[in-house]
Amino acid sequence: MDTMSPLERVLRGLALTLVVVFFMFPIFWIFLMSFQTNETILAIPPSIVFSPTLSNYAALITGKLQTAAGTLDIAFMRNLGNSIFLSVASVAVALVLGVPAAYAFARHKFKGSEDIAFTLLSFRFAPPLLVLLPLTQYFQWLGLSNTYFGLIWVYQLICLPLILWIVRGYFEDISADVEYAYRIAGHSWFATFRKIALPLAGPGIAAAGLLAFIFAWNNFVFALVLASADKQPVTVGALAFVTSSGIQYGQIAAAIVLSVTPTLALALYAQRYLVEGLSLGAVKG
Amino acid sequence: MTTLQLRNIVKRYKSQTVLDDLTLDVADGERLVLFGPSGAGKTVLLRLVAGVIEPDEGRVLIGGEDMTDVDAEHRGVGMAFQNFALFPHMSAFDNIASPLTATKSSKEKIAAGVQKVAKLLKIDHVLTHHPKALSNGQKQRTALARALVGSPPLLLLDDPLRNVDAKLRFEMRLELPRLLAAQGATVVYVTQDYKEAMALGDRIAVMAAGRIRQIGTPQEIYNAPADIEIGRLFGDPTINLLDVTPQRGGGDVFVELSNVRVRLADYGADVVGSPCVLGLRPEAISFVDAAAPGAIPVTVEAETPLNEKTVTLALTARGREILVSRPAGTPGPTAGPAHIAVNGMQAFLFDKTSGALLPRADLAAKRNGEAA
Amino acid sequence: MASTETLRRPVSGFRISRKMLPYVLSLPALLVCIGILIPFFTAVIYSFQRYRLSQPWARQFNWGENYLNFITDPAFWNTLKVSLLYAGLTVTLELLLGLGIALLLQRRSTVNNFISIMLLLPLMIAPALAALMWKLMTNPSFGILSYLASLIGLHDFRWASSPDTALLTVVLVDIWVYTPFIMILLLAGLRSLPTQPFEAAALDGVPRSFVFFRITLPMLTPYILTATLFRLLDSIQQFDIIYAMTQGGPGNTLTVFQVEAYLNFFQSTNVGRSAALLIILWAITYTLSNVFIKNWLRLRERARGEA
Repeated sequence: MDTMSPLERVLRGLALTLVVVFFMFPIFWIFLMSFQTNETILAIPPSIVFSPTLSNYAALITGKLQTAAGTLDIAFMRNLGNSIFLSVASVAVALVLGVPAAYAFARHKFKGSEDIAFTLLSFRFAPPLLVLLPLTQYFQWLGLSNTYFGLIWVYQLICLPLILWIVRGYFEDISADVEYAYRIAGHSWFATFRKIALPLAGPGIAAAGLLAFIFAWNNFVFALVLASADKQPVTVGALAFVTSSGIQYGQIAAAIVLSVTPTLALALYAQRYLVEGLSLGAVKG
Repeated sequence: MTTLQLRNIVKRYKSQTVLDDLTLDVADGERLVLFGPSGAGKTVLLRLVAGVIEPDEGRVLIGGEDMTDVDAEHRGVGMAFQNFALFPHMSAFDNIASPLTATKSSKEKIAAGVQKVAKLLKIDHVLTHHPKALSNGQKQRTALARALVGSPPLLLLDDPLRNVDAKLRFEMRLELPRLLAAQGATVVYVTQDYKEAMALGDRIAVMAAGRIRQIGTPQEIYNAPADIEIGRLFGDPTINLLDVTPQRGGGDVFVELSNVRVRLADYGADVVGSPCVLGLRPEAISFVDAAAPGAIPVTVEAETPLNEKTVTLALTARGREILVSRPAGTPGPTAGPAHIAVNGMQAFLFDKTSGALLPRADLAAKRNGEAA
Repeated sequence: MASTETLRRPVSGFRISRKMLPYVLSLPALLVCIGILIPFFTAVIYSFQRYRLSQPWARQFNWGENYLNFITDPAFWNTLKVSLLYAGLTVTLELLLGLGIALLLQRRSTVNNFISIMLLLPLMIAPALAALMWKLMTNPSFGILSYLASLIGLHDFRWASSPDTALLTVVLVDIWVYTPFIMILLLAGLRSLPTQPFEAAALDGVPRSFVFFRITLPMLTPYILTATLFRLLDSIQQFDIIYAMTQGGPGNTLTVFQVEAYLNFFQSTNVGRSAALLIILWAITYTLSNVFIKNWLRLRERARGEA
């Protein structure tokens, strides 16, 4: 493997450069756009040399857009707030529900445990609209349509299987003897769960939580079907934003940058666990 | 101190029966060693007593009280695991203190209890360390300290010396009996090492395939193994096993080894003519002059000095291998032709087909008398 | 009064029997999910009904009619064709590209590790937002990609707005978003392979192509299968990218299953047809996921074994 010819070295370097350019360029370009005014964006040929402006971000944050036709209100910050609230709350609920269940599945091979675990996993692979479309009607009857409560409930479809399967793997990695030792020392199962299992699976639970957050944040279809404008997260909001008249392209770019920054930051922070999380524990990173 | 009674315990995993209708009594203050090969069910049995796994059938009585349905934390036993099972996120101090924190003792009491047992086990200088920072020996002592600290009346030790190096095992083998005696608890000790079993047990229960094959004092098991397998498991160097057919001559039962008659005074006529396996402990054989009565000619092949004894491998005229053991430092042949004599009083016969130990004459006679 | 109450409570407090405990622990999670299972059965019922939101009075069971109509319905065949084409194209291209990149990054070095982390970023961007990014880059008046296309002679290249190139464009976005997924799985697989066979082959001077096809690929197969099936399951259900980019258009060029079902439900308000489409999609994914789960479980066992 160490005997690479100079030609091969160059070819490999070239290939890698192309790969990096292809995958990084869009992020880079949109980032640049977010600091540009319409004049520089529309300039031909495009240039990466321009005098950057924060006006796009300022407009988004204040929610006031100055256009030729007058002042336009934009609800982007509200969308951002919705994204944060929906993702955080969904992950919190999923952790509260999922971690004990994951523990039960990992520690007790009770009757039907595998079947139940697989049923939960199969949610990950079912077409979301299959559930969502009838759900719109149920939600109307239940008064849950366009409520945070209803959305957070549906978000469990993404968060719960993810947390269940990843955390279960971490619990399985804890030696049963360690827990037995604590029980024999005179502690209840709950004390054992709290003082032994939870701290030892802690990093895994945190990683699963972060991943669930990313997935919840990036979800589009649930809110598209179930939420109206005031409850929409950024994924749906930003799209609606494009079609609204009078908007500046730089502002769309800025909205995208603001929308993707949280997940990118978390991904970089938790990258050690990404492989395991993305493959639901099938591949150790 | 307390008693432990197991009544008809059955434990299955899927279709496999791990413990098969097992009944066992451990007396108050007794040290019982569970000895047997891996997979015999020793560890499962111990966990069942501790209450972390449940039997499919049977009852577990501790101190005369039925504990079968009682959770582990209410059984009041102490246990040390083979793999130590230390809490990796806690210091050695917190590990050892865990049985005391469960009782809601005061901080001072806990600290005093931990210090005392840590001093006893010579780990008081590493109490602030986490398990990762402990040597294997220190981990083992921490695990032991955790089991001992609450002075549980019943102590379960699952092969605690398995994962430590030879030197430490030797030290601990000397130290443990004293420690356990000072504790005064009833002890069930699991091991695969026959020396440990002999050194630590008041009684030894030999387990295989989920059953207890023989139970008795170390001497009983050494001197009268219930079958060939147990004879082979106990003793180092291993027992000599020779195919023989006992014969009768001049009112005695004897077997022929290289055409030399070895008298088996303990055995009666009932064994004559049936194919048997003769079991000879290496120390039941000695080198003698060619002129001595019952001298069997052999060729000495190799000599291995062990610590306290010297073991010699010899070949009989028919090429059968014989191990001879003598106290280290005593003279003996190192190579070439030599003669051995067999102490027939220390020989035992096993049935060749079943492997079971054949009863000695006095017992056999007694049984015949009862039957008549 | 309160104090006597406390005194009377049993010392041990509440105790859940050992056999019940696992059920008690998993029950809340199950209840939440059961609430979500009910709509699934509702969807099955809808799929056997003539049900239009615009004509709720005409709602009645028509049994298999929704499904039977598909046989003669060109729109359905278009949906099936586009869905399979989209899934086939994206998964094949992403697999080849992902494998290639993983091989380039196989050796552990600071640069390679840094690049592999950077390459993960597209995967962490919401697909709907990624589509939006590409929409900005392919805008005919200021998009950088339209400009670049004009530089190589492709004037007035319409990207997603032209029926000829719409599929190509969304496939490109899908590749941008999801190739890192395959890459990172295969990279983890490659790096977990035992080194001995490769060292032995190098010592014996075995040609590299032989090593790749006879040692690397076979050993990597379980990882490739897992990654492929994972992607296939997602790709055949793709909604976000296509909807955000073109809403299924232009015309019906990109009406894959979920997009078609969405449009049927909300635009033509044909609930029955929409549900039947989704049930067919579900049947496809269910079959795929059964194959997938078997393979994935094996891999998971192995990963746990190594840990």
